[in-house]
Amino acid sequence: MSRQIIQPLTRVEGHGRVILEQQQGRLVSVQLDLNESPRLFEALLVGRSWQEVPELVCRICGICSSVHKLAALHALEQVLKINIPPAAAIVRELTLLGGHIQSHALHLFCLILPDFFGVPSVLDLARDRHPLAMAGLEVKAFGNRLQELFGGRIVHPVNLVIGGIGQCPAEEQLIPLKEELAALCEKWPAIAEEFQASAKYPAGGAPVGCSLATGSPIGFDLTGTSLWTADGSEWPVADYARLLAERPVSSSHAKWPTGEQGPFLVGALARQALTARRTGTAPDTSRQNGIYANNTAQLLEIDWALSRAYSLACQLLDLDKTAPCRIPPDGPRAGVGIAAFEAPRGLLVHRYILDDTGHVTEADIVTPTAINQQVMAKQICLDLAEEKDQVRIVKTAEQIVRAYDPCISCAVHLLEVK
Amino acid sequence: MIPKLLKIGVVHFAGCSGCQLMLLNCEAELAILAQRVDCVDASMITSATCEETPFDLLLVEGSITSPSEQQHLQKLRLRCRHLVAVGACALTGGINRFDAPTRETACTHVYGPVADQIETFSPQPVANFVAVDACIPGCPPEHSDFLDFFGALSCGVWPTQRDAPVCMECRTRELRCLLEEDHLPCLGPITIGGCAARCPALGIPCEGCRGEVSEANRDELCHLMAKTHLSKSELKRRIQRFTGGENV
Ligand code: SF4
Ligand code: SF4
Repeated sequence: MSRQIIQPLTRVEGHGRVILEQQQGRLVSVQLDLNESPRLFEALLVGRSWQEVPELVCRICGICSSVHKLAALHALEQVLKINIPPAAAIVRELTLLGGHIQSHALHLFCLILPDFFGVPSVLDLARDRHPLAMAGLEVKAFGNRLQELFGGRIVHPVNLVIGGIGQCPAEEQLIPLKEELAALCEKWPAIAEEFQASAKYPAGGAPVGCSLATGSPIGFDLTGTSLWTADGSEWPVADYARLLAERPVSSSHAKWPTGEQGPFLVGALARQALTARRTGTAPDTSRQNGIYANNTAQLLEIDWALSRAYSLACQLLDLDKTAPCRIPPDGPRAGVGIAAFEAPRGLLVHRYILDDTGHVTEADIVTPTAINQQVMAKQICLDLAEEKDQVRIVKTAEQIVRAYDPCISCAVHLLEVK
Repeated sequence: MIPKLLKIGVVHFAGCSGCQLMLLNCEAELAILAQRVDCVDASMITSATCEETPFDLLLVEGSITSPSEQQHLQKLRLRCRHLVAVGACALTGGINRFDAPTRETACTHVYGPVADQIETFSPQPVANFVAVDACIPGCPPEHSDFLDFFGALSCGVWPTQRDAPVCMECRTRELRCLLEEDHLPCLGPITIGGCAARCPALGIPCEGCRGEVSEANRDELCHLMAKTHLSKSELKRRIQRFTGGENV
């Protein structure tokens, strides 16, 4: 039995390692450890006032801070029985779309692209002003522009508050933005095509795991009241814990979902598969290559996000700007709030229980990377079972993990153990 | 003198990676930055890992929460000429420090039966273990913080550390005072500026993410806060959110 440890995993967010065990030149076991320092959010939220929760939980993760904050706001607004004004809903969705665009572009152009050109970092590409890297960085910057304008800040968006938003951007800001969006919608397909043309992936087997996502039954959406699985079942979001049945594992600071239908796959690829299933359309699989198809799915999502942002910007311009964009809560209430969102990396659930003074008595946060942990290890085992070349094993294992775009800071915030 | 191509490293401890993401968020400037710096070790940014190479500059994000992190940090300190603490987590412990009964109970709460296998202590600022040469404040730092920082370094100096409060920037921008006029719990009077009063400009009270100015007048602030809806303990928690929870 020989053992190889890949540590640290690079060009991923956070600290993780992979332990590979081989017997007579055959890969027999793969262990993936997410060994970020525990930050214990769920425990530390207990006893805090509802007013503090959104600002605290967005600090779970810098890359997906917008979606964490929105999930918390939605869950809390459910308890407080607030329906936010239409302009606020649009501004929030634009922030969310900006987050997806920035996060996918970060993954594709800063974390993946160096693999295609055999350099260690995007900085090496930027130094030579590599055209594809520069184009990708521009798209990433645009995602950030949306988060800055609508969310009020790129990381930890300050404009999103309980009851709505702080301020709606003025018409003078929206009109040029709309034009930029239209221009980028035109430019994007060529950039995506070039990314695909440069792509170099090792051969890989079909993605393992049962796809899982939230969303609307009629099309693609980033939030919803049901969870859908690839084997055709639909679960109310409130049943997420039963579906996922997480349990802690000693080697990893994140928990493994062990639900019977699992292991689950979440993220852009799962969303693509499920949207196709729900809407009865066939997904385009012509260019799928193992789990690396997740990158293709992210490219397509950027396309979708840009056109969705364009139509939302148009809607926002048509709305009455003098209407208030925030409904102040009328004091604390007791109750349970639960929200499911599609973070860039997949399903994210926030659930809070508040007492009648508005203090948190229980908090649960389920993150996409925690859900994906198991399929990541399985995929490595599957793809590399027959590989003999030791150098290639290490390199490919890392590339497989990278394809999921794991966010390890997120993953170590866990479901409460009952 | 700072050499031409600075060898830098970025290390991440307990935090959200938002600080180093802000560095990568300088998209328009990355090409220029890459002319001046070579990233020799930073697991999120590069797959280069040089266990021995000395750094000219090490950027540290996050707070220290375990003996192994402490050792790792101390080893890194020996390898770098200059060490820079970036963001509230590294500077004060930041958001990681919000009060829990004890670290052990919190750990048991989250991890249940396997909690005792996790070796961890209450999150500490980086400066509790190693010498820190410069600080970049914020949760996260502003885009301009990084540009000022590397701009100054390329001229061979450290950037000046700001100490004027957010309030001053609010005045300059002629914004409405949220504290006096709207009785909102704005921490602008005691918080280090540099964000161009980002939150008050949106009508949202400052939560103090850039840390406390050196001559913070907390008594005066508490007096001004009397008209807000916050109770004493909530006000205390609000001030502690980014200042590391020392006595308020
Ligand atoms: S200081 Fe704020 S942005 Fe930086 S790592 Fe800590 S929580 Fe994230
Ligand atoms: S106004 Fe306060 S909370 Fe907002 S960015 Fe500035 S220092 Fe941070």
